[in-house]
Amino acid sequence: MALLKYESQVRAPLVEGNKDYHQVTEDICRPVEASPSKLWWIGFLVSFALLVFGIWSVTREVIYGTGQWNLNKTVGWGWDITNFVWWVGIGHAGTLISAILLLFRQGWRTGVNRAAEAMTIFAVMCAGQFPIWHMGRVWNAFFTLPYPNTRGPLWVNFNSPLLWDVFAISTYFTVSLLFWYSGLLPDLATLRDRAREKWRKMFYGITAFGWTGSTKHWQRHEALSLVLAGLSTPLVLSVHTIVSFDFATSVIPGWHTTIFPPYFVAGAIFSGFAMVQTLLLVTRKVLGLEEYITIEHIEVMNKVIILTGSIVGIAYLTELFMAWYSHVEYEWFAFKENRANLSSPYGWSYWLMMGCNVVSPQIFWFKKMRRSIIVTFFMSILVNIGMWFERFVIIVTSLYRDYLPSSWSTYYSPTIWEVGFYMGTFGLFFTCYFLFAKFFPVIAIAEIKHILKKSGENYKQKMDVVEREPVEEFAHAVAH
Amino acid sequence: MSDNKFWQSFAELHDKERVQKTAQNEFQEDLPFGELDGKGVLDAKTPRRDFLKYLGFSTAAATLAASCKTPVRKAIPFVNRPENTVPGVAKYYASTYVQDGDALPVVVKVRDGRPIKIEGNELCSFTKGGTSARAQASVLDLYDTFRLPHPKRRSGNAFQEIPTFEQLDSQVSQALAGLGGAPLVLLTGTVNSPSTRQLITEFLAKYPGSRHVQYDADSYSGLIAANGGRIPAYQFDRAKVIVSLGADFLGTWLAPVEFAYQYAMGRKIDERAPSMSKHYQFESFLSMTGASADERFTHRPSETGKVAAALYSALGGGGGTAVQLDADLAKGIQKVASDLKKVQGAGLVVCGSNDPNVQAIVQAINGLIGANGTTINTGVTLNYRQGNDADMVNLVSQMNAGQIGALLIYGANPAYDYFDAARFKAGMQKVKLTVSFNEKLDETAELCQYLVPSHHYLESWGDAEPRSGYYSFIQPTIFPLFKTRQFQTTLLKWSGNNTDYETYFRTFWMGRLGGQQGLDKALRDGVSEVAGIGTSPTQPATTTSINISDALLKMPAAPKRTGAEVVLYQSVAIGTGKQAGNPWLLELPDPVTRASWDNYAMISMKKADELGIDYKDSDFEYYPDKPVIEITANGITRKLPVMVVPGMNADTIAIAVGYGRSPKFSKAASEVGQNVYQFAKWNGATVDQFNDVTTSAKSVDTHKIAQMQIHNSYEGRTEVVKETTMATFLKTPDQYKQWRQDLHKTYAPKTGDYREEGTLYGDPHKKPGLKWGMSIDLNSCTGCHACVVACHAENNVPVVGKNEVLRYHDMHWLRIDRYFVSEPSNPDQLKTVVFQPMLCQHCDNAPCENVCPVAATMHSAEGINQMAYNRCIGTRYCANNCPYKVRRFNWGDYTGASTHGRLGPESGVGVLNEVVHQMNDELTRMVLNPDVVTRSRGVMEKCSFCVQRTQEKKLEAKKENRMLGGDEVQTACSQACPTKAITFGNANDNNSTVSQIRKNNQQRLFYVLEQIHTLPNVSYLAKIRNTEELIASKNTGSGAESEHARETQHEPAKTH
Repeated sequence: MALLKYESQVRAPLVEGNKDYHQVTEDICRPVEASPSKLWWIGFLVSFALLVFGIWSVTREVIYGTGQWNLNKTVGWGWDITNFVWWVGIGHAGTLISAILLLFRQGWRTGVNRAAEAMTIFAVMCAGQFPIWHMGRVWNAFFTLPYPNTRGPLWVNFNSPLLWDVFAISTYFTVSLLFWYSGLLPDLATLRDRAREKWRKMFYGITAFGWTGSTKHWQRHEALSLVLAGLSTPLVLSVHTIVSFDFATSVIPGWHTTIFPPYFVAGAIFSGFAMVQTLLLVTRKVLGLEEYITIEHIEVMNKVIILTGSIVGIAYLTELFMAWYSHVEYEWFAFKENRANLSSPYGWSYWLMMGCNVVSPQIFWFKKMRRSIIVTFFMSILVNIGMWFERFVIIVTSLYRDYLPSSWSTYYSPTIWEVGFYMGTFGLFFTCYFLFAKFFPVIAIAEIKHILKKSGENYKQKMDVVEREPVEEFAHAVAH
Repeated sequence: MSDNKFWQSFAELHDKERVQKTAQNEFQEDLPFGELDGKGVLDAKTPRRDFLKYLGFSTAAATLAASCKTPVRKAIPFVNRPENTVPGVAKYYASTYVQDGDALPVVVKVRDGRPIKIEGNELCSFTKGGTSARAQASVLDLYDTFRLPHPKRRSGNAFQEIPTFEQLDSQVSQALAGLGGAPLVLLTGTVNSPSTRQLITEFLAKYPGSRHVQYDADSYSGLIAANGGRIPAYQFDRAKVIVSLGADFLGTWLAPVEFAYQYAMGRKIDERAPSMSKHYQFESFLSMTGASADERFTHRPSETGKVAAALYSALGGGGGTAVQLDADLAKGIQKVASDLKKVQGAGLVVCGSNDPNVQAIVQAINGLIGANGTTINTGVTLNYRQGNDADMVNLVSQMNAGQIGALLIYGANPAYDYFDAARFKAGMQKVKLTVSFNEKLDETAELCQYLVPSHHYLESWGDAEPRSGYYSFIQPTIFPLFKTRQFQTTLLKWSGNNTDYETYFRTFWMGRLGGQQGLDKALRDGVSEVAGIGTSPTQPATTTSINISDALLKMPAAPKRTGAEVVLYQSVAIGTGKQAGNPWLLELPDPVTRASWDNYAMISMKKADELGIDYKDSDFEYYPDKPVIEITANGITRKLPVMVVPGMNADTIAIAVGYGRSPKFSKAASEVGQNVYQFAKWNGATVDQFNDVTTSAKSVDTHKIAQMQIHNSYEGRTEVVKETTMATFLKTPDQYKQWRQDLHKTYAPKTGDYREEGTLYGDPHKKPGLKWGMSIDLNSCTGCHACVVACHAENNVPVVGKNEVLRYHDMHWLRIDRYFVSEPSNPDQLKTVVFQPMLCQHCDNAPCENVCPVAATMHSAEGINQMAYNRCIGTRYCANNCPYKVRRFNWGDYTGASTHGRLGPESGVGVLNEVVHQMNDELTRMVLNPDVVTRSRGVMEKCSFCVQRTQEKKLEAKKENRMLGGDEVQTACSQACPTKAITFGNANDNNSTVSQIRKNNQQRLFYVLEQIHTLPNVSYLAKIRNTEELIASKNTGSGAESEHARETQHEPAKTH
């Protein structure tokens, strides 16, 4: 051991269980190659049923009009845009993990980035449903695209934040999808090479785009990853900034706030990480990947949650303070009466939001809590509820009592079809996630191999043997 | 030449034959005629033509299957253009809206043969073009699907069509001949048509012993009796002090359009010498008129006479015993008396009571204060109501005694609105011949043997004399839609006169108006006045046969302390209920309660406490479910939801009549409300519209009330509403001006140009030429809602039905916001009520315009905030971002304009009421204005400043090569307004009324929410109530602080 006494114990290995490369491949490919478990089927069918219900809810809305929802002349947006912002927010963690953490060389991201990116894509898909189907005349949705036309030509209104959303979300979706897919290529090739059934060979053969693992491929892959990471990084910040402009650029008290862009981005990362936690805690358990997605990962993500949660909390308080300090009567009313006043019709939602987003994450100051799976899971759900209510509070409580008291207090609660639409996006999300977990490796095989310490460990073991050997024999062996 | 050898390939050069052969067989493969079997193409299984057929069929089938069914709308163009008609250009005919005894000179807009809009007749000297909500809505009654389509006779329990009028006439003649001397009675509402009155006299002369009984559901018998048989003309414009004892003269009492116009003359303020009339209202519940009053006092409905007596004695009138009244009331009466004395000759007292004794006292009061000859024009008689309660009671007893042979009913519906309807109905069974001329199958017509529906007034000839000496004419604007015959023609027939009414009418008037020319002019103008009438009172003051001391003695002296009382009132929309089947009126919110589609019991806060109703709970405000109580009077019990209203007499329950109609009368109206006419009582001489009631101890049920506004206070938001008292205004006349100047100084410190400097981007609208603007005087708005219905009619605003109103999906482009202002400590202590017409403000820096992703809403060069419906995709972002919340979204398909939807689902969320289907009936849709597109579902809509009207007038001016006058274009709302509270015009034209108003009223001018720099094109003038109260205004400093200047002491308490 004499040779190893200078080994510095910097940090524990990111992958536990002393895996070698082959084992890694085996572990991660196993759920893909095995036939689906009963649990998977149940989960998939439940999700699919929700999706069908969602499709039915939307169909009814398209046939009979937006009146299928309980929105009204005062509250023009309710669950629809709340859900939109919520899903977009959730779609932030994936890109943050894969892009920003890649640029910061955070090795631990490899354990979770694939699933987080998939989650991002599915969440953005869900988010996109709401601005589309909330339109009164969805069949004219293409009017939002600036294309040369015979109507004048009539262009879109480039002043409208809603149009910026169209660009922001579509760009984000495209880049995230490319990033995710380019990362998948080596793994798809692995699956192709391991495939026994014909359809698997076909499927992975086509999807792997002829990846051979040549050095040239790897070189280009790495370059592309960096380029896409570079592209995605500003997007992580811009998408939710632009979503927040929907509100910040308006004149409605409670919406018209300059703090919104950073506050929305922090909130998005906050909720995104919470959703990643929810999903991965289940995934690692069900697919038996505890050694890849370790308690370390969970702890590190909990740290992000408490950081962003606290930023969000400070933003809430700043907003409240500014409403008072600015002396703008209408804004102060929106905060004091519509929100902070617990006995007002929606006061409860404000305090629910405060409780979930600001108070509850403080539990993660304690290491023991950060490392507790039960607490983390519970907290992740709580944060997601809180973040949903944050958007609800912003949208509904600002609208329902704004400037003219004559238009106030038109009480808004969702109909079954509004809830159905939301449930439907859960259906879409989980249907996609289940299919993803079944057909694609949920952990980036190629990437996680980068961070294995297997060779080092082997060497250490070998050193043991070497040290026990007589020097002459060793010298002899080396010589020959 | 021939030796030359041209070749294309070596093969050809060397083996020409073979190449040529292959060239002939160029298509080596067989053509796909495998199935021909040598039989020729046409005999094959799928010959070429069949292939084309199949192709054609499958393409067509696929197209049909894939495309949505687009309803085919048939439009048949004229083969020959009708004379004097240009398709697409409206024609206007003068006419007269008549209903009950109301007669309002109007002008009917006719497009392509269809009357589509009612406007006031500006040539009329007493309305000056004003209209009422009911007159505006009357055009929809023409297209009512529930109108009787042809004459019918009873056969068993059903009605059977009578194919021809000849058959009808002979059947009725036989029946009339077989009466055996039993008298014939013609029962009508008030008839103030001179020609009809003469015709009735002639008709009655043919049947000896017959008589004419006039009956009004809202009776003025007491007033008529107390004034010696005729109602004198009131001149509210000449009055400096107006005292109303329970008369809703701005809303429903006698001639509200006329009175509102006069009233507003005294309420407009010239800021160089600010003064206005003082309006005291004594009443038992909060009426629309009471809402406009400067000072209000409440009392029990039964105490009206006592109040009158007390006022009489306070003014120095002798006789009677001293009455005891509550301290507040007594103090109020003293104040009123001293005010009346001060303005000797310029005071006016009106009273809504139907008790002749009370009215006699009021008449005596007017005598004491010198009103006769000044504020009461005794030279003119108001003929709006002539019914006599005693006659009616007498008739009903005779009917029950079997003494009536025939009863012909026109324009009256006693089976519904008579206080003892059961007795009337019983009497109907004992009359040998009963005929109804009513246009619809109402509760009385249902009981008749013959139904001979008369024309709607828009299909009729006729005349009216609303004030004696003032004539107004009716001419048909459309060929009768159904097989109906005008009541007068029928009477002429049955009196053996074979001329039709048109001829009769022409002969009648040609004699009086100086021949054909005179009649033509009268018909063109619609109105005609006896020269010189109304200028000087020629007749002596009305006299009464009632002895004043007797009358005083009949007033109860001791105060009544226990028991609740009910008072019946008419709502502005429904009135007596004659037009209760009208969807526009049913959907019209009440000005005071802002509730539509129901009647309900208005109760005081104290009563609510007694009933254990937690009206202070926010849930009571937010949720439409209102407690239902049982109300019993005259042995009749009705279950009605309650509305808790401030400013009510504690023990009074006020209920609107006109609701709870028979389903045969109207499907839409049958589902709403309860009939409470039977709560009225007979006082021995007339019918009293109040009674003692008992109520259930607490609520027995809940019922949803569709309110369009549920928050009642403006929460001290003075940027939204500016209202103050006369004393305050006199003391600080520049308060509002100062506020605006400070605002401009703060946000435009360099130039003072708020428009330019108030934003980073400069003045968003600096265009010369036309700039449409509107000015609304909150001081003259009485909340009558004529403008709302006018807007409804003009702009094809859909009716959405109660279910949708309950979900706050109402579509009104123009609404009248109502705010209660009360003592902070006691919300029940109502100080005033503000009516604020709210419509799209057409902001020059519109928040809605820049958020639309597809630019469906944008600004016109003339300052109009426009909607391109075809471009709208329905994101609702604009509505969210509208600070005034005036944008309305088509949540469902309300108009049938959408090709993708249908009129709501059969079940579940969003089921539409029957009325929406009714409004989409082919017949009803004839009322639609062809100049305004109907909006499909999923589209945002809102006030357009009647852009179709601005365009029309601009084109006219262009064709005539002249400048458009500043006041030439009138929006539907400004045109309908009886008080001229709304004015519209070109704000860039210095001579237009709008510019003048803005220029001359700088002290009261304000823009709603001016501080958010939306730069609205609708300006308001602050409301001033004429009281001595001084409202201290804090914070008159300059700069940013004053932006939040608050009349803190004035902040009204939150009322529910």
